[in-house]
Amino acid sequence: MKGLLKNNFYAVRSSAKTFSIFMLLLGAFVTVVVSQQLLLFYMLLGIIGFSINAIASMGKDYVSKWGKYKLTAPVKRADIVKSYFINQLIWLFVGMIFAGIGLGLSWLLHGCPFDRSIDAFMVFFTGISISLFAGAIFFPLFYLGGEERNGAFLVISVLCAIGIVMGITTFINITFGPKMTTVQILLGAMMMLVCSLTVFALSYPVTTAIFKRKEY
Amino acid sequence: MENILEVQQICKSFPKTKFVLDKVSFSIPYGSIMGFVGENGAGKTTTIGCILNTISPDSGTIKLFGKELSDADTELRENIGVVYDGDNFPAYWTAEQLAHVMQGLYKKWDNALFHQYLEDFRLLPKQKIKHYSRGMTMKLAVAAALSHHPQLLILDEATSGLDPIMRDDMLDVFLDFVQEETHSILLSSHITTDLEKVADYITFIHNGKLIMTATKNDLVYNFAVMRCKESQFLELDPSDVIAYRKRDFQTDVLVANGKEAERKYRGSVIDHVSVDEIMLLLVKGERV
Repeated sequence: MKGLLKNNFYAVRSSAKTFSIFMLLLGAFVTVVVSQQLLLFYMLLGIIGFSINAIASMGKDYVSKWGKYKLTAPVKRADIVKSYFINQLIWLFVGMIFAGIGLGLSWLLHGCPFDRSIDAFMVFFTGISISLFAGAIFFPLFYLGGEERNGAFLVISVLCAIGIVMGITTFINITFGPKMTTVQILLGAMMMLVCSLTVFALSYPVTTAIFKRKEY
Repeated sequence: MENILEVQQICKSFPKTKFVLDKVSFSIPYGSIMGFVGENGAGKTTTIGCILNTISPDSGTIKLFGKELSDADTELRENIGVVYDGDNFPAYWTAEQLAHVMQGLYKKWDNALFHQYLEDFRLLPKQKIKHYSRGMTMKLAVAAALSHHPQLLILDEATSGLDPIMRDDMLDVFLDFVQEETHSILLSSHITTDLEKVADYITFIHNGKLIMTATKNDLVYNFAVMRCKESQFLELDPSDVIAYRKRDFQTDVLVANGKEAERKYRGSVIDHVSVDEIMLLLVKGERV
């Protein structure tokens, strides 16, 4: 597993480095300028961007024969799949740190940037859910449809993830009404998180089953 | 248990390409090098895929170290080193990063040995693989395959595309590897001269079918080609003919025992035959 995680890290590293520099520059701008919209965008970009970058790098294994070579190493196919899921979670965490620092600095300099402080948590929950849904959709599609369609599947996954989160948000809004209490907001956010985590967890055995049937 | 690898009656069909691997069987004894020869698309890589479990055969059995390899058999795969033709590793890696990954994959990964190979092969540890020449990438792949102390090396066209000097260097490394009695190599190649230098056994495959397996000494010292005129060819005992190929004024006939053929068919022209020519006769020639 350690080798697989290192492999994934090297695959993500160069693009993550570039994205980190961009996020640092954007973060500096966001903390100076007082804009709720901009901060919201920055936080979502950080949370979703890093993890999308991580899942996109999966295709790099198949540019060379490394994807096939790995199967000859002493690792199970299930472990290879698991390493991609863990990799996404690691980079999701990195994205959350970026978003957290941006939010924290903005809060320190200008006070609470949102109408209610609970909204900040909602942004986190939304970003995490989009990332998890995107990964859960992308991983099985990647093996099912072929590695060469990596780019198209990534776009489909992200759009589907946004659609699902929007759907859940609409459901929550309808259920709790327009003026939600803090508890109701938290409950809605938890619902979204539980849904995305469940789909993400279910995606692992599905992806593994598909990958086990793949021939190289 | 005297065979490190036993392939028995494996079949695999690909409906899309209509390619069929048809009942391929061979075995590799411990301490030997098996050359696996065939033209491009003959089924060498498919057979290797079945052996390494990257392809599931439709039927047949494959035993490595006396056991059938499954996805869960990670311990068995510790003892197998693999080199594929071309880019084995991501181009954005350096040899050092490759070592880091391999160290996390193989329990027996020997970093000192890997760096020794890098030094011997004159490969820079910090240079990105994308800046390596083709020969260098193949050397790196061989170094990586050997650095976790495998017992069986499976090399799929590992010497193709290399210049003769590099190929010779590689062959020396392979010969060194099989000095150990428990080590063996399956070397798939269409460069038959390489196999003549190092192989103990040679298996010929054509159109997904195994044509024959013979010891290299048998092929080099006993196999021969008879250059027959039409009348001479018609007089031959069909059981002596392995394959024949009609040319403009003569027919080349592959026989398993040149000396015996010389005695039996006095006056006929019999030449020694190279593995290359045997392959040509087996692939392009006709059978009786």
